Amino acid sequence: MPGSGECDITMLRRLQTLAATLVVGLVTAPLVHAGVCATDATGREVCLDQPATRIAALSPGATELVWAAGAGEQVVAVVSFSDYPPGATEVTSVGSHTRLDLEKLLSLEPDLVIGWVTGNPPEQLETLWELGLPVFSIEPRNFEAVSTTIEQLATLAGTEEAGFAEAERFRQGIAELTSEYRDAEPVSVFYQVWDEPLMTVNDDHLIGKMVTLCGGVNVFGDLDRLVPRISAEAVIAADPEAILAGGMGEENRQWLTRWESFPGLTASKRGNLFFIPPSLVQRPTPRMLEGSRLFCDKLDIARTRSEDR
Amino acid sequence: MPLSRSLTLPLLTLALVGLLAMVLSVGVGSVALSPVQVGAALLGEGSNLHQTLVLELRLPRTLAAFATGGLLAVAGALMQVLLRNPLADPYVLGLSGGAAVGALLAMLAGLGGVIVSGSAFAGALLATLMVFGLAHGTGSWTPSRLLLTGVVVAAGWGAVITLILAISPTQRLPGMLYWLMGDVSYARTPWPALILLVLACLLVLPLGRSLNVLARGPMQAAALGVSVRPLEWLIYVLASLLTAAAVTTAGSIGFVGLVVPHMLRLMLGNDQRLILPACALAGGTLLVLADTLARVVIAPEQLPVGVITALLGVPTFLYLLYRSR
Repeated sequence: MPGSGECDITMLRRLQTLAATLVVGLVTAPLVHAGVCATDATGREVCLDQPATRIAALSPGATELVWAAGAGEQVVAVVSFSDYPPGATEVTSVGSHTRLDLEKLLSLEPDLVIGWVTGNPPEQLETLWELGLPVFSIEPRNFEAVSTTIEQLATLAGTEEAGFAEAERFRQGIAELTSEYRDAEPVSVFYQVWDEPLMTVNDDHLIGKMVTLCGGVNVFGDLDRLVPRISAEAVIAADPEAILAGGMGEENRQWLTRWESFPGLTASKRGNLFFIPPSLVQRPTPRMLEGSRLFCDKLDIARTRSEDR
Repeated sequence: MPLSRSLTLPLLTLALVGLLAMVLSVGVGSVALSPVQVGAALLGEGSNLHQTLVLELRLPRTLAAFATGGLLAVAGALMQVLLRNPLADPYVLGLSGGAAVGALLAMLAGLGGVIVSGSAFAGALLATLMVFGLAHGTGSWTPSRLLLTGVVVAAGWGAVITLILAISPTQRLPGMLYWLMGDVSYARTPWPALILLVLACLLVLPLGRSLNVLARGPMQAAALGVSVRPLEWLIYVLASLLTAAAVTTAGSIGFVGLVVPHMLRLMLGNDQRLILPACALAGGTLLVLADTLARVVIAPEQLPVGVITALLGVPTFLYLLYRSR
């Protein structure tokens, strides 16, 4: 019986120590781990005990934004087509943004996952969340959201200095263009996203906002759908003064040549068929500033041509 | 005893092959784990990462693939008996079309996960009821009438699917296409499908003899004392339910339901008592193998499993057909 008594006392001491540790832990925890929090595009608050050091970026746009936030060094996983900045191509790929290799992703042991609200499969993001990975979903729909997303990512990655500076540079650049083109002469514009089927954007799309920013008037801006599919006939009927188009690749002007075969089209008559490298405009990243400047330059050219017609 | 032995031997063999396929599927992935590491993870030991990979990702997905493949193959075999048409598969009566419309509409509304599955299930049931009601019509209820109704309704669903794809926002298209091609990564939990598969097998086994007679034609079946009409209804409802569960788990995976029953008939003869449980095992095995390949062939990129089922199944089936007399 004495044995069992000793045992009880030892147990009691252990419990006391444990309780003390727990209490101390509870009191000091908030002080030791300052923690960082941010609310993502789905309204979910993501909190990390400490800034992320191993980030998985699940879209090419997210990769660019993480780099812009100054946390490029911390990226351990990207998806296919993450081709910018150059360092991104060196990072391990975990499949395409439409279908992720979750196993590969988990094996890289990320402590923060940057999801894409409309691009990643929701059930896969949900699985990651259920497995205990913090998933921060992004979807910048306007210029300000690009800046705030960069700031949020910088906060979560602990790279506030670089990230906030870059966000501010973008914000300033857009503000400058806004004031410069506020009273510019309107130019009617058709922006071609894709060739077959023929697709454009409305005014709610970021590219549509770039057109508006430069004093352009998107001829399909009022359509309901973000990326409407339209007919060539509709373009001819709208008769824009300028046509801006990307293409498959960074220098492929092929999409514009089809409009040259309609000499009655104002844009063709005046030679206002402009190629815009798609990578500068089609991802919601700071490179949009460069793209916007290019848009504005092209629309300036179109304005000079409309005066001396 | 010869009959029961002729039943058990093929089934045991198929079960063994199925088990091996599952072991392979759990052991192989885009992250290389040694068999020891996989075993440890299965026993709840080893590193956290390994346990997550094996227990949270690979095992549920393998079980879901097995259940889905089994459900589709059994449903296909039942449809072939019901319609007495070798071209019948679980989707021939437009069930996958209804499910697809349900799922795509949910995706179009920007919903995901459980709601897409639930919507697919509702669509499948709606399609079933529609075909059933229309085939009943004012005249008599015959399999050929059912088949024609189903095929026409399926064409209608096809048009609606195309319409949804055409008006959907560009960024939703990849998810929709993957769903239409069938993809086990949608599976959230394997249990409902697995339990249904086991229940279905238990239910059809006692019916095997009646199904054998029915396969020879309704007249003969009636002459031999089988109540044909209730049996046909039961098969139809059961096959629809199984297909709906499969489609809800993993989207519309093609080919398994058509080819697995035929393959087994070529190898084992046309005894439904053997064919139906064999379908459950072989269908499951085929889909487990196909999904394993889909995960690893061009990893980290993931292929839709429907591509692999066809690529594996077509040559195997053609070979068996060529050899058969």
